[in-house]
Amino acid sequence: MKPFNYEVADDLDSALIVLNGSPRTLKAGGVDLLDRIKERLDQPDTVLSIGGSQAMRYIKEEAGTIRIGCLTTLADMGRSELLKTRFPALHESAGGAATPQIRERATLGGNLCQRPRCWYYRSADFNCLKKGGDTCYAVQGENQHHAVIGGGPCHIVHPSNCAPALVAADARLVIRNAGGERTITAVDFFRLPRESMYAENVLAPDEILTEVLTPTLPSLSATVELREKQSFDWPMAMASVARIDGVWRVSLGAVAPVPWLSKPAMNVLGSSNITQELASKAGEAAASEAEPMSQNSYKIQLIKVAVKRALLVAAGEEE
Amino acid sequence: MTFQTDNRVAYDNDGLRLDIVEKVTGKAKYTTDYYPESMLWAGYVRCPYGSADLTAYDQDAAMAVPGVLEVEITKNAGVYVGDRLGYLCAESRLAYEQGMNALNPKFLAHPPKTNPDMEMTPLDQVQSPENAADAQQLLESSDAVVEAIYRTQVQTHCCLEPHIGLVDFRGDHAVAWGSTQGTFSFRNELSGVLGLSNDKVRFHCEYVGGGFGSKFGAGAEGQLAGRMSKKYGRPCRVGLSRKEEQLDSGNRPGSVQYMKIGATQDGKLAGGRVHVAGVVGPTGGGGGARNPSRYQFGEIARSDEDVHLNAGFPRAMRAPGHPQGMFAVELMMDALAEKLGMDPLKFRLNNDPHVTRRDMLKAGADLIGWDRRRPNGSGDGPIKRGLGVAVGDWFNSPGGATVTVEVYPDGTVTALSGSQDIGQGFRTMLCDCVAHQMKLPRENIRVRVGSSDLPPGPASGGSVTSRFVAPKAMGAAEQAKQGVLKLVAEEWQTDVAGLSIDDGMIRNGVREMTWKEACRLIGEDRLTYSVSEDGDFRSAPTDSDAVQFAEVEVDTETGIVRVVKIVALQDVGQAVNRHTAENQITGAVIQGLSFALFEDRILDPTLGAMVNPNMEFYKIAGSMDIPEIVPVLWRSRDDVSVNSLGEPPVIPTPGAIGCAIANAIGAQVRTMPMTPARVLDAIADTEGGRA
Repeated sequence: MKPFNYEVADDLDSALIVLNGSPRTLKAGGVDLLDRIKERLDQPDTVLSIGGSQAMRYIKEEAGTIRIGCLTTLADMGRSELLKTRFPALHESAGGAATPQIRERATLGGNLCQRPRCWYYRSADFNCLKKGGDTCYAVQGENQHHAVIGGGPCHIVHPSNCAPALVAADARLVIRNAGGERTITAVDFFRLPRESMYAENVLAPDEILTEVLTPTLPSLSATVELREKQSFDWPMAMASVARIDGVWRVSLGAVAPVPWLSKPAMNVLGSSNITQELASKAGEAAASEAEPMSQNSYKIQLIKVAVKRALLVAAGEEE
Repeated sequence: MTFQTDNRVAYDNDGLRLDIVEKVTGKAKYTTDYYPESMLWAGYVRCPYGSADLTAYDQDAAMAVPGVLEVEITKNAGVYVGDRLGYLCAESRLAYEQGMNALNPKFLAHPPKTNPDMEMTPLDQVQSPENAADAQQLLESSDAVVEAIYRTQVQTHCCLEPHIGLVDFRGDHAVAWGSTQGTFSFRNELSGVLGLSNDKVRFHCEYVGGGFGSKFGAGAEGQLAGRMSKKYGRPCRVGLSRKEEQLDSGNRPGSVQYMKIGATQDGKLAGGRVHVAGVVGPTGGGGGARNPSRYQFGEIARSDEDVHLNAGFPRAMRAPGHPQGMFAVELMMDALAEKLGMDPLKFRLNNDPHVTRRDMLKAGADLIGWDRRRPNGSGDGPIKRGLGVAVGDWFNSPGGATVTVEVYPDGTVTALSGSQDIGQGFRTMLCDCVAHQMKLPRENIRVRVGSSDLPPGPASGGSVTSRFVAPKAMGAAEQAKQGVLKLVAEEWQTDVAGLSIDDGMIRNGVREMTWKEACRLIGEDRLTYSVSEDGDFRSAPTDSDAVQFAEVEVDTETGIVRVVKIVALQDVGQAVNRHTAENQITGAVIQGLSFALFEDRILDPTLGAMVNPNMEFYKIAGSMDIPEIVPVLWRSRDDVSVNSLGEPPVIPTPGAIGCAIANAIGAQVRTMPMTPARVLDAIADTEGGRA
């Protein structure tokens, strides 16, 4: 790793002022950043730590809206009774991620903004598209963990396992810079490689993701992650579902470069009550968009099962 | 038959691992924890691709980094990812890393050989062995024939402590530390590098974080550290990063195993054809898989070859060749049993004449509840359960070691062996042998291991450490006990034969004396007894047989496998310490499970680089993946001394899990690791298709 300056911001405002003046690499929990620095994918001159700020670490409900500060750890979320009862899709995602040790360090903001976990991107030995090269090595190479929906020319899957629940629940993300703040929908926060090769979201260098909120809490929600290993593993596929004002929303994780809002599944579901048959049909519909690469056709089956099971869990109709 | 499951056959039933507090508190010092003053940092410049020419590098820039002492490029092409092309030596870790970065090597990559199926001899072109015609005749007269290809992947050692050597050359002598399975083999190799006689090199490895076969000599790490230390007259360390560890510290070679085996209607194996392709590095061999093995296969026409890839070399790994061979063998046994309509356990009993294993198979069947096993692929709902069984064994030849036991006038007893504790519990075993033989509480015993200053002992390979050392430890302890009893007999003016010792108290029926009081009779600094012979303490060697039963749950909609339970019966002869003996078994089962389901060295086909050279993408079983494991310390005969335990319990695990999966889903997954994708493929290939 290359030596760098390390700055600690006391609070959000001072961090934003510093960011306004010159670029900094932001660090919250540091889970993702440290890996990137060690592999020399990032070689920052200055790292600005915002992780110590307690003001952005909260989970609260105000007038039917749940608000979560972006420095809230995944472990905090896993321990939250509020999320457990009111937003189980997110509770499940955060509380079961990675390992207990990582969950105590990893923040919600970091989970949403982390860079891809594609093994070609993560290795300095491959000058891949996302790092400015001219090849996505996954196309001819080892693509068992890569995208089956929305891929190309880079075929990453989005690594956040909290994002699908937020997209399903039509959550809003609050973004601030020194000049003010803006709020956008979760689904609009993320960007496909064909829209933005070198960044997975719309954050500008002077901006910080500060808060996540759900304008309307889902009446029902659930997340199902399918993992090869049950300890410390990324999902092979996952689905988050949420019912808002009677209407179902379905989002897929680990199968596309963004948390994928599955319109075909939503079209099948509409505002119907869930039955086994309907859940299966929604799963089939969700998988209909998939175009597998050479080694990941198994994900099609996993999308079907994840969507079906998430709907059944949300509706209290577990198989 | 001795059939029990509480493992109280061990000498010491409740003594904890002797160094457990040191290890969990961080007090235990490993090689990497030593930072002698003015220590240098050195390491290798490596080829990042499978096959590549080194076309340019900036030696001047590297040398210009403050603190870089030396850069030397010795090869201009690499033939596997991680291949050592040169080295760099610097005065600090920072200078080392910055120098490596400034060197900025450029490569021209060539198409690498990464796919064993592409590189091996096509099966129809493999030269037939001499007895092929005989085997073919046996196949033709068989009632059931199964033809199958089994594939196992490359597994890396993943030692918790990476390979490291630290050498401090001091002119006419040297002091060194290293992570090794062989105190004396490391020392000897290093002496050669330094040009010193063995007695002039003091080597230490008090704590070692695993080796699994990859850490015998000084290795590339110890050699470079030695050369740089000698050249600069300063201590030098060379330690592998986790990535280097995955690329160039050895591995369990992969295999492609073709089998065509026949059996007769009465449930006897008849013979057949086996071709084993071992997947190795760019040159050399070492890829053999032990197939066929254990069962009486009859006449087998067997051939084998080493398949060369542009990838890291194999090195011995915990029962080399065995787990991968038995994966194929056990799945073949199950496939034949199914074809014959015979229970697979009964089929094994029909074809395994080994008395101990037969007893273990029957006992294990009771423990797992084999009568619950249903026909392959039966059961309702998407989650299906399956049971599987597999076997293994290991040999128990004798070998050399010396153990010294000393008794001090304050009652302290020291047990000394230069052999290393690589994590298996050697320190604990030595303590408990001596405590048991001297009838003293453990608290009296101090153990010192892992130093060339101490009496010679074996390297930990072939599961020999306890087997070689225990008899000498018992012998030396017995002599030490007799030495003190003799002093007491003189004091009491009685016959030594009438004295007994129990729990630290010496008695002759009339009088009694504590151990401490007795030791005050020692009229010199200490009593010293060194023993190099087995004497009466090695008896009736048997094989270290292993039998394991696995129960799995397979989600047939997702292909996800959850191992529910593994019953691991292990013949160990005389177990010494229950905790460490059980740990050897459970650790082996976890390693075998991880091999069966998760671990895989994955090479990019374009550049030949390993895409998962870290603990994130190279998947290893974690706590949530570990099932209930029931280790059973089996004692086939009461008169058997300490036997092998390190390797045998890793042999059956992949086969047992593979057979259990096949029982659950009604199809064999013949390629490891048995991932969800492969399980789904196997289900799709069955007649009924997906559930």
